Amino acid sequence: MAIRQTRRTVLKTGSALAAASILPSGSYAQSEPLRLGVLTPLTGAGGADGPRMLKAMQLVVDEVNAIGGLLGRKVELVVEDDQTNPEAAVRAARKLIEVNKVPVIMGTWASAVTSAVAPVCWESKTFLTTVSGADSITQLPHQGFLIRTQPNSQLQGKAHATFIASMGYKRVFVMAIQAPFAIPTRNRLEEILKANGSELVGGLIYEKEKTTYRSEVDEALRSKPDLIYLNGYAPDTIVTLRDLYRAGFNGPRFAQSYAVPAKTLETLPPEVTENVYTGQPSADIGSKPFELAAKRLGIAEPDSYECQATDWISIVALTIAKAKEATGQALRDNVRKITQGNGEKVSTAVEGLKLLAEGKEINYEGASGPCDFTDIGDIFDCKFRYVKVEGGKFKFLKVT
Amino acid sequence: MEHYLIAMAITAGLYALMALGTNIIWGMAGMVNLGVVGFVGVGAYVSALLTLKLGWPIAAGMAAGALAAASVGILVGLITVNLRGDYLAIVTLGFAESVRIVTSNEIWLANGTDGLSGIPGPWRADLGPHNFNLFYLGIVVAVVAVAFFVAERLCYSPFGRVLRAIRDDEQVASVAGKYVLAFKLKAFAIGTGALGLAGALYAHFTSYIAPDVFVPLLTLYIKLSLLAGGLGNNRGALLGAVAVVFFLESTRFIVPLIPWLTHVQGAALREILISVTLLIILRYHTKGLIPERLSHPALPAEPSPAHAIPSRTGAMT
Repeated sequence: MAIRQTRRTVLKTGSALAAASILPSGSYAQSEPLRLGVLTPLTGAGGADGPRMLKAMQLVVDEVNAIGGLLGRKVELVVEDDQTNPEAAVRAARKLIEVNKVPVIMGTWASAVTSAVAPVCWESKTFLTTVSGADSITQLPHQGFLIRTQPNSQLQGKAHATFIASMGYKRVFVMAIQAPFAIPTRNRLEEILKANGSELVGGLIYEKEKTTYRSEVDEALRSKPDLIYLNGYAPDTIVTLRDLYRAGFNGPRFAQSYAVPAKTLETLPPEVTENVYTGQPSADIGSKPFELAAKRLGIAEPDSYECQATDWISIVALTIAKAKEATGQALRDNVRKITQGNGEKVSTAVEGLKLLAEGKEINYEGASGPCDFTDIGDIFDCKFRYVKVEGGKFKFLKVT
Repeated sequence: MEHYLIAMAITAGLYALMALGTNIIWGMAGMVNLGVVGFVGVGAYVSALLTLKLGWPIAAGMAAGALAAASVGILVGLITVNLRGDYLAIVTLGFAESVRIVTSNEIWLANGTDGLSGIPGPWRADLGPHNFNLFYLGIVVAVVAVAFFVAERLCYSPFGRVLRAIRDDEQVASVAGKYVLAFKLKAFAIGTGALGLAGALYAHFTSYIAPDVFVPLLTLYIKLSLLAGGLGNNRGALLGAVAVVFFLESTRFIVPLIPWLTHVQGAALREILISVTLLIILRYHTKGLIPERLSHPALPAEPSPAHAIPSRTGAMT
């Protein structure tokens, strides 16, 4: 049902796009839609995550359009596939910037793709929002044209290690995919676990896109861990979970929420996913934006990527409304005016747009956290929401 | 729009340079090299590291990148000396993957999967983004023009004729007194040198490289360029590269016009179109848009049995 809905909504946008390109642009200048760029992996290694993020963004756009759009114009997402490849992504980004003249590009996923696209964006004063986890990304000289809703490896490692130690696990092993965040996260876990009386008994880095991780699983089990931290993405985590089950390991495993999304629970039998913990950044316990995002998406536990995508489009819409201007420069200059400060707290774009129309100050609290950004575009400290899989279903544990 | 077209023209130019290099190895000498992207990566990384870490001038970095790729090409050529056809293809494919894995894991050297950012471009800051692209297009066009001229000369020189003789029958070339190994290595070195130069040009243009840039997808695009344009023909290599970039980019505008496709399906369709095109070319039009000329210009117009053989061998020297 959920898929059907997307297809229909996406279909509408597609035909609107087709119509827009056929109609003479001059005579319809008044009703010209406000085009926002989406560059996300629809094929390649990130092909499992991009479509979910796109759907989350599209649903928010539909809500905004239902109350009259932005600056009196209908909002339209121009979507390009980054193919999870930096070279292809740069070509796609140039098309979005130069041909569609979008003020923002949302949705880059792989760190290499974000690092490749970022210079093109800041040189042409286009705003970029991303989930990429590499610590190096916010250290690029992006002049403020980039925000990242994903906590960096320092924040994640600290929060996750504290949670794991608080659950009483003493011997942790890390299996991480070959990615820029692999080693920084492992080092941070080691440091914090040690400080909390637990121990990192070992770690390994595996190659993406393998059909089996049996030898990696054997290596992990040799050090007799009581918890295995799976720092990968959804497709490879399905394989590691399966191989861990086959190897007879039924102890607890910890993963990022995006590595074990709702779809994984549908794919794998419940005994394989039993006792898997997942964590994701969150605003607070019983967070209203999170519940609203869940309701909008029609799933019980939206994962971290779906929440972050919800937040990007909401932040972008609110910033454009606040700045009364849809340019990359305006987004850069005004984004922190609606994400942080003493304004009235709002949970959705629609709610915020109404208050902005009344001339009020707002502070957007997102589904993925408070969404308060540092000068380099990282989020400040945030809380984390933890769930556990029991009988093939997510069970809420706590937010700390 | 014109800035987008300039950027795509640069991409097409880089693909053309890669296609010209690959054509020398594959089209002229008949060695199937599926490691294209590995040599491109070597050139890109060497030039980027020398300019970033040792402060070399960009032109010197690019030259070193091309030389490094050529040296690695000779090494790979020596290792694969007894391999032909599919076996050579698999080993070169493996070589390209090793380059990616080494750059991913040797963090001290190549900064791992984080990649190298801030690679300098010639007068990038002074020119501003748009003028820089235009200026860089000039550089790329000049390099491709020189490479095309050199490749054409090679093709019609005695050296090129020996390469084609080796491609068509290695033993015959050997019997005719040609030292096959040396010719093969030279072809490998020249071709991979051009690939390395293309990689260096790419690195200094985009300012960022990472192991994930150098994946077999790019090899496939170059292979498709050659097959579409006409294998063994330099003009075909140029035309093919431009055609592939045009195809890749034009599908961006055409696929969204199909109303019943979602974005995800549209993205998949673009990938399918590439594969289908490759299959159609392989099945129906292996000679490409500009087929290689079959009759050799150096052959005498009316060969008589009496001197046909000596003149052929003469043509090979």
